[in-house]
Amino acid sequence: MNESYAERGYAERGYAERGYATGGQKRTRAEKSTRAGGAILAAVALLSTFLVLWGLYYATGTGERHKVALAAAGCEPNLLSVNVGCTTVWMLERQWTQLTTSDLQQLNADVADYTVNARRNLVKAESALTAEVTTAKAFDTSLAQFPFPPAVAPASNNLIQAIQARIKLTSEQARSSSLTQLRSFNARVNASGAAIQADLSLVHKALFTRPAVDQEP
Amino acid sequence: MSTTRDHERGPYAREQDLYPAERDIYPSDYESDVYPDSGVYPDDAIERWGSEGEPAADHQPRRPWSKVVDEWMEGRFKFGGAGVKRKTAALIVLGAWGFLPLFFMLPSLFTFNTNTIGGSVDDTLGTGAMVNLFMCLLITPAVTLTGQRWFVPLRRWYGIMFACCGIGDALGAAFFDDFAGNPFAKLVEHTFTLIGFLMVLLAIPLFITSNNWAQRKLGRYWKRLQRLTYVIWALLFFHLATLEGFGFQRGSNGSGFAGDGDAIFHQRLYQYCACSLFLLTFRLPPVKRWIVARQQEGRNRLVFMAVMPIFALFLFGFIFIVNELIFKGTHSFVENPSSE
Repeated sequence: MNESYAERGYAERGYAERGYATGGQKRTRAEKSTRAGGAILAAVALLSTFLVLWGLYYATGTGERHKVALAAAGCEPNLLSVNVGCTTVWMLERQWTQLTTSDLQQLNADVADYTVNARRNLVKAESALTAEVTTAKAFDTSLAQFPFPPAVAPASNNLIQAIQARIKLTSEQARSSSLTQLRSFNARVNASGAAIQADLSLVHKALFTRPAVDQEP
Repeated sequence: MSTTRDHERGPYAREQDLYPAERDIYPSDYESDVYPDSGVYPDDAIERWGSEGEPAADHQPRRPWSKVVDEWMEGRFKFGGAGVKRKTAALIVLGAWGFLPLFFMLPSLFTFNTNTIGGSVDDTLGTGAMVNLFMCLLITPAVTLTGQRWFVPLRRWYGIMFACCGIGDALGAAFFDDFAGNPFAKLVEHTFTLIGFLMVLLAIPLFITSNNWAQRKLGRYWKRLQRLTYVIWALLFFHLATLEGFGFQRGSNGSGFAGDGDAIFHQRLYQYCACSLFLLTFRLPPVKRWIVARQQEGRNRLVFMAVMPIFALFLFGFIFIVNELIFKGTHSFVENPSSE
């Protein structure tokens, strides 16, 4: 029995000792962990300081890299956007294609519709002309809003004027009272169409010609 | 009346009770040992050992600044004849920014402009989701550093906004993107879209359970579930890495082709890393313990010096993410999606 008590006492004492040791180890671990936290924080703070300073240094070379990027990406330097500071030729091409594709297809469809009806159905021919005027007006508005760079501005103004002339002419044509009168406009309308085609080609050419780096404002 | 248990739970135990709904919204890192109750405020302890000897009988211990701010936020001010809680007003002002990405997309949603939705939903809502996720993750380090808790409800709000933006981004990509195949194929045919899709799948249960009812029903499992946010955070790294060539510019791949000469700042992966360094560091238990220990010693200047460079790096990255969001978002708002 005594032995048993002694054993138990020893065991309890041992348990208590172990318990005390565990508490101490926990405290030591916590202190070590706190020190480790300081070390981690110091390391991360140093790394961050280096990166921030490097970032500021990198930012000082922005101007030079901007010029190189303009040349490399085929930027149109006269168009400044908020984010990248330039509009690339690729961007202009995409916007221009989006703008012209649907409107020109619709205009061609209206002209084809008019051609079919010009000799046999006055009402349908006039309806086609009215539709053409509506589409041409929408196209004209879109062109007026397109961010043409200054270098392209003269050609784009000519194009807009040519389209407005065509709209005026087509509107008059749509008010004709007979098929003969309607067809009498054809020569002038075709001439205005040729002028629009020429101006469109000029705008297209001017738009997609890559400017030199020194053209940057 | 303070109980032993309350004492063990730390000085914020009472305040946590004030915010039962918000306390555990999204992964919470508040351990009781982060703010152990020392019983004596550091500044007060210093005063006791001063030359003046024993403090006066009517001496009141100095309250920590964080507590003062929290209490001030509970106050009311007059607005339009009604009393409005300062905290409510501040939360609305700060939380409104979380809605910005969705606001940018509203005109194209109302007019069902598929050109704008397809062209810019990924940039606007994707970047918006990233901003909201970082804002959500920022709350915990902010609590650790400031000790204030009045802004904790924003964690739930930013989390919800993150999920909305992410789900909107996935829907836009599935139905209006110009990738080949059916909507599901569009979401899984590229590595980055697949990872993005996984993120959205993980965000859905978080979104559904981001309410008090679900919190009550799920009990202790709710917090574990909300820790999926960390998985989403990690997946975002791989999403951006695969989206932008693991941070290396390849031709026009990635945001790094920006013509403003700050290509590196526009790399989303770098932005992610710059922001995540701050968010991760102040979640590490040893770092939190170190900060609390220094704050208790009254060495706030040391904490400030250690935190500032990391926070500056966070801001460096975050500013460019927000710049991206506003730039792409305004283009989406006027329904003229940016072709960049």
